[in-house]
Amino acid sequence: MTITERSDIRTIETLLLQHEVEQFYYEEAALLDAHQYDHWVDLFTEDTHYFMPIRRTMSRRQLDKEFTKPGEMAFFDDTKEILRGRARKFNSGTAWAEDPPSRTRHLITNVQIKQIEEDELEVSSNFLLYRTRLKSEVDQWVGRRQDRLRQTDGGLRIARRYIFLDQTVLLSRNLSNFF
Amino acid sequence: MTIASDDIRQLIRLDTGEIDRRIFVDEEIFELEMREIFGRAWLFLCHETQIPKPGDFFEATMGRDNVLVVRQRDRSIKAFLNTCTHRGNAVCRAEEGNTRNFMCTYHGWTFDLAGDLVGVPGMETYYGNRLDKSKHGLKKVSQLDSYKGFVFATFDPTAPPLEEFLGATGRLSIDLLAERADEMEVIPGVQKFIVDCNWKLPTDNIPDWYHPQITHMSAVSSDVLPGLRVQEEIVDGGGAKTPDGQRIEQLPQGRFTVTDCVTVLGEYGHYIGGPRNGPRDEATPRPWRTRPGFVEAVGPVGMEANGHPSIFPHLWIVTSSGQVSVRIPRAANKTEIWWWGFRPKNASDEEKAMLLAHQTHVFGPAGILEQEDGENWAQGTMHSYGEHSSQIPHLLKMNIGHGQVIHEHGLARIESALNEHPQLWQYASWQAWISGASWDELLRRTTPGDRM
Repeated sequence: MTITERSDIRTIETLLLQHEVEQFYYEEAALLDAHQYDHWVDLFTEDTHYFMPIRRTMSRRQLDKEFTKPGEMAFFDDTKEILRGRARKFNSGTAWAEDPPSRTRHLITNVQIKQIEEDELEVSSNFLLYRTRLKSEVDQWVGRRQDRLRQTDGGLRIARRYIFLDQTVLLSRNLSNFF
Repeated sequence: MTIASDDIRQLIRLDTGEIDRRIFVDEEIFELEMREIFGRAWLFLCHETQIPKPGDFFEATMGRDNVLVVRQRDRSIKAFLNTCTHRGNAVCRAEEGNTRNFMCTYHGWTFDLAGDLVGVPGMETYYGNRLDKSKHGLKKVSQLDSYKGFVFATFDPTAPPLEEFLGATGRLSIDLLAERADEMEVIPGVQKFIVDCNWKLPTDNIPDWYHPQITHMSAVSSDVLPGLRVQEEIVDGGGAKTPDGQRIEQLPQGRFTVTDCVTVLGEYGHYIGGPRNGPRDEATPRPWRTRPGFVEAVGPVGMEANGHPSIFPHLWIVTSSGQVSVRIPRAANKTEIWWWGFRPKNASDEEKAMLLAHQTHVFGPAGILEQEDGENWAQGTMHSYGEHSSQIPHLLKMNIGHGQVIHEHGLARIESALNEHPQLWQYASWQAWISGASWDELLRRTTPGDRM
C-alpha cells in the first residue's frame, strides 16, 4: 500500500465518522421534534450527565467565570434517572405546560469532532431550537452543545452533554423542552 | 379604562375575598407600586457570601432601578444606582464580578468602590476645575442593612430600621433558612428568567397550596423526584374532571394534599403560609429542624409552621430546598424571576450534591414544578386586559371569615384548614402601601387583628 492510499483510507474513515455523528444528531433531533421522549432518553448512557450551566454577563477580563461549573447552580443538571422522570412527566397527560404541546424544530449545525479516543468522541455542535406555543408565542434558543459520545453495541450514545446557551437572563417563561 | 377615578379601597374587598383584576395590568397602579412600594420598602438585594472580597459586586434590582451592591475595602457593603451621574449610562454592564472602580464608558467618569466620583477626563482642560466632584457621586440607597447575611436596602430615609420592618414574622422567615447551619452560603450562579406576567401573580402563588395537586399533577404522578408522592390518596375532587372525563379524585396525590395549616401573619404584609410540620415531611427528611441552634432560633411557631414564608413585597424563602426567589416587576406585564440556592458552608460533598439536585430540579424555568407555573401567571395577566374579562374579580374566598387569629409568642397565627388568608393578607397590605400611608399608619393598618 502506498502512502497516498493510506492517507485516502484515513480520509474516508474520517468522512464516515463525521457522517455517522451527523446522522445520529439528525435522528435525535427528529425524536425531540416528534415528542418521542422515551426513545430520546434511550440515546443516553446510564452514567450520563445532562448539564446546562447558568451564563452570566461578565466583563472581558473575567470571562473565565462566565459559565457556572458542575457543582454550582444550573438550569439543567440531570442524571439519566432524572431525564427518564422528565420524559414520564411529559407523557403523563397532565404536564400542562406541554398540553397543548409546543411545536419545536431542532436545527443542528457546525458538527465538529474535536477528539477521538478508543471508544469515545468529543463533539461540539451548534443548535437553533425554534419553538412556538399556543397561538402566538415564539421562543428561540441558540447555543452550542459539547458532547461526549460513546460507541456501544447499540450505536452511538451520549455519555455527557453540556449545553451552552447564548443567553444570560433567560428570555422565556420556561424550559419545557430538551436541547 | 384606568383606576384613577376609583377609590383604591374598592379594589380589594376583604369581606368577600374579591380582588379587582385591573390591578394586574393598570399602568397607573403599576406606577403607584413603583413609587409607594418599591420606592419605600426594604428590598432584598443579595447575600453577603456572594461578595466576600473587596471590590466584589453584584447587580441587584430595586423595582425598575438597577443597583450595584459592592464590598468595600473595610469589608462593609454599599449599594448605589448603576447609572452615571453625567449622562445616565450604566457604570457597570456586568451582572457580577470584581473591580477596582467603576468607569463609565461614555465619557470616562470614574467612581470608586464607595460610589464617589474620583476621576473626570478633562477636569482641568475642559471643565477648568469648576466641577464639584463631591456633588456627583453615584446615588446611594437611603439605607442598607443586613439580617443574618441577607442584604436589604430602601430608597426611603424615613423607613424604620430593617429589623423593625421585618418584624417577628420576617425575621422568623429568614431564620428558617439562615439557622439551618452555623454558616450558610450562596451557591454560585443565580437563575434569572422573564415571564410575561404581572409580579403579583407569582407572588400570590407563594402560599397557594391549593394549586399543586392540579398544576403540578404531572410532577407528582410521574415520580420524577422521591418524596413528592406520599401515598395514593382519594381526594375531594369536587366534581372536577379532566377533558377526557377522568375524575380528579382517582388521580395520584402526594405531599401537596394539605388539610392542616399554620398561617403566620406579620406587619407590613409578611406571612408564612402552608401546612403544619408533620409526618408527611418524613418523606423528605429535614435533619436541620432538630439542630439545637435552629430550634432555639425559630421557636415554637417556627417549629410548627412548614409553609412558605414571604417578605413583602416580593421575596420568597423556600425552607425545604434552601432557596430564595424574588419576583421583580419590570413592567405591568413583565416580571423577572431570580432564584438563589444556599448550602451550609461546611456541608459534606454528598449533602451539597443532594441540595443542589433538589434546587435545580424543582424550581426555575426547567424545574418540574415551575415549568407549569408560568402558564397560570401569564394567562391570568393576559386575561386581565379584556374589557369584560377584567370585570370578573380575582377570588380568594377559601375559608374567608373563619380564620381566628391567635396572638402568642410575639406572632399572629391562624391554625385551620387550607385557606387563602396569606394572599388576602398580602393584598390588604398592598392596598395600605399604595394608598401612600405614613409609616405609622402603615404599621397600624398591617398589624393583624383577630379574624381573617
